[in-house]
Amino acid sequence: MIGQTLGHCRVLAKIGEGGMGTVCRAYDEVLHRDVALKVVKKSDRLDPSASQGLLHEARASSSLAHPNICTIHEVGETEGELYIVMELVEGKSLREMTGDAGIPPESVLRYGVQIASALARAHDRGIIHRDLKAANIVITPEGLVKVLDFGLAKKVGSAIFDSPTRSFATLEEASSVSGTLPYMAPEILRGAAADYRSDLWALGVVLYEAAAGRLPFEGRTGFEVSSAILREMPAPLSFPVPPALWGVIQRCLAKEPMQRYQRASEVLAALEAVQSAATVFIDQIAERGGPRTVAVHSVRHASVKKGDSLLLIGTTKGAFILRSNAQRSRWDVGGPYFHGHSVYAMAYDGRAGQHRIWASTQSPWGTLLRSTDDFGKSWTNPQQAAIRFPLDTGMSLKNIWQITPGPTDEPTVLYCGVEPAALFETRDGGETWSLIRGLFDHPHRPRWMPGNGGLALHTILLDPVNKQRIYVAISSGGVYRTEDGGSSWTAQNRGIRATFMPNKYPEFGQCVHKIAMHPARPERLFLQNHWGVYRSDNCAESWTDIANGIPSDFGFPVLMHPSNPDCAYIIPVESDEFRCACDGRMRVYRTRNAGASWEPLSRGLPQKGAYETVVRDAMAADSSDPVGIYFGTRSGQLFGSNDEGKTWHKILEGLPSVVCVRSAVVEGTSDGSVRTLPEKSRGISSSKKSATKRSATTRKIRRIKRG
Amino acid sequence: MTFHIPGALRQFTSGHSKVEIDQSPDTVADALLALWTLYPGVRDRIATEQGQVREHINIFVGEENIRYTGGLATPIQRGSEISIVPAISGGREILIK
Repeated sequence: MIGQTLGHCRVLAKIGEGGMGTVCRAYDEVLHRDVALKVVKKSDRLDPSASQGLLHEARASSSLAHPNICTIHEVGETEGELYIVMELVEGKSLREMTGDAGIPPESVLRYGVQIASALARAHDRGIIHRDLKAANIVITPEGLVKVLDFGLAKKVGSAIFDSPTRSFATLEEASSVSGTLPYMAPEILRGAAADYRSDLWALGVVLYEAAAGRLPFEGRTGFEVSSAILREMPAPLSFPVPPALWGVIQRCLAKEPMQRYQRASEVLAALEAVQSAATVFIDQIAERGGPRTVAVHSVRHASVKKGDSLLLIGTTKGAFILRSNAQRSRWDVGGPYFHGHSVYAMAYDGRAGQHRIWASTQSPWGTLLRSTDDFGKSWTNPQQAAIRFPLDTGMSLKNIWQITPGPTDEPTVLYCGVEPAALFETRDGGETWSLIRGLFDHPHRPRWMPGNGGLALHTILLDPVNKQRIYVAISSGGVYRTEDGGSSWTAQNRGIRATFMPNKYPEFGQCVHKIAMHPARPERLFLQNHWGVYRSDNCAESWTDIANGIPSDFGFPVLMHPSNPDCAYIIPVESDEFRCACDGRMRVYRTRNAGASWEPLSRGLPQKGAYETVVRDAMAADSSDPVGIYFGTRSGQLFGSNDEGKTWHKILEGLPSVVCVRSAVVEGTSDGSVRTLPEKSRGISSSKKSATKRSATTRKIRRIKRG
Repeated sequence: MTFHIPGALRQFTSGHSKVEIDQSPDTVADALLALWTLYPGVRDRIATEQGQVREHINIFVGEENIRYTGGLATPIQRGSEISIVPAISGGREILIK
């Protein structure tokens, strides 16, 4: 068969032998693409009318455009060979992946959602799979599910049965039944016609098998298997399978079709609800060698590749991870993670070859620091909060406002700025954290006053040259600096105005909203104050007012261009009382002369009735060339510029209120694994490999296509 | 006595929505200590590091919110049922001894 041409496909190599026939890799000479070509066994053919039926059904199935369905491109017959041309899917079957031990519940859910989504699409089009089984489900290396052979089972006949079926001689009507015995619904065994609900039974079997590593109904012979399907209940699934997942499987496996879910979309919704309920546990001790954690899994995940740009979006109701290719014009959305929890701080940690994303979560159940090493597919959820005030302080953690990875050559050091205002440090990669007493015991601390957002230490800047020098900013306390690694701190607010104090230039107590430092020129800092924009060129010894010509010097974020130390970005708002874009016109202001003058950047931003607010951490720059600038608004819109602010486009709308935006570029290591680099790292790869298949996105969020 | 565990915390109680404590604690505080001895992950979700019940978490003995029955010193009887419920809003902190 190798070298033979069927239709316009040249057969390249045999891939395998399936139930229906031989599967080959082939090359479509017309469309110039690799395809899979399935040649139906001659012995399996039915009479001419049945063959026509197969052709008809396969053509109907070819209309199923869905990311989780293996697309059928063509069905044809030439020189007596009946063949099916389909999308070439590379990966492992779910059967291979499951083995005897099963797969973790979060994987069952992740794959189950995709399988149910595929079934929902097919059922909507009136197509029943009829032979759904673990061997017919392929998982690509990116974790994308592809369901094979939609709609092909019915017309092909009994020969597609796997070996258990072949021993299934006790039912004389077997020849008129299609499917694979261990996945067959009871009503099929009783001779009824397959319908949507028999597909849902098979889905229940697939989910059970994936979770348990064994089939729910087993037997030494076909008779025993069919007897078990008709009469027995499957052995219950227990920890670590969440009870809610077991409940979904049980309902799929109800003996009576009427007692099952009636539609695949119902199963999809139920599985998504289990994911959202964050009820999946895995013990990651063995995987990470770290503390015992519980991983929480959410609904959608962005599929991240080498060379991708990432955006981390923290909102008042959860977090999102967005990915794009080097062009940064279209973004796939992962999330929402941490449903209903506020995420005020996110950060990358690309040091030492890792690609860890950190996030802080705040909810009625407390504030926790979480991390993921797989771009959001699983997050730590520690039994005990690692960041906690010592008993003697009498204080309780309210929120984590800032997460800052330490020096590059100390990859286990990180800092967190928290509310009530304090600085925490870890030296073991986040397992244990300690309060930096030098700052906590500062005599000024009792006189710091909470700002509108609480008394928060919201900014941490590490001097890349002098590792003993760290800056923090506190609302309202001002800027503090240590020159000895944190043992002692001094207020550095000379020249910064405090409009709300009787003494307008106090030593401390300023409501500093944000400070930014240039990595290549660390003595230079920019500062956005509660009224006032400032620059320091002497490590914050003194500050100069640089609000020259901007419509308002009130604002929150300030951002430095990653390579030009004279370039900074701010987003002014009208006033303290009316914290919205001036005149309802959304404008970013940029200086390219260290604050001597500012220019508005508004092309592509709404200029009428846009009373938007951008909070202090909701703006970020990447380190690609040209630099990308991104910001999110309180109203849930996300804007981006991939030309340093010259033009803007809306990336998303409909998000919860955005409170944090961070960016990074993903880079692979020499061994081919993927790691991320922090946004301010230098020498980022600007791989222009085209984006791979889009992952599913959150439906409630409108992704904005560029015109 | 029995604890009713809300959905958000069941990941820390092996999925159980009810947890039976095979002891006879005298107060809610003692009962909570027994609960998080059994399931340590629950502790930081209910209480702050200073031992206060979190501001937006309510604890009921039967149908009574312990905010109005003596806080964590609220006595409990054999067979009492304690519910842990996130508050809709507000609420003052309660000190755990």
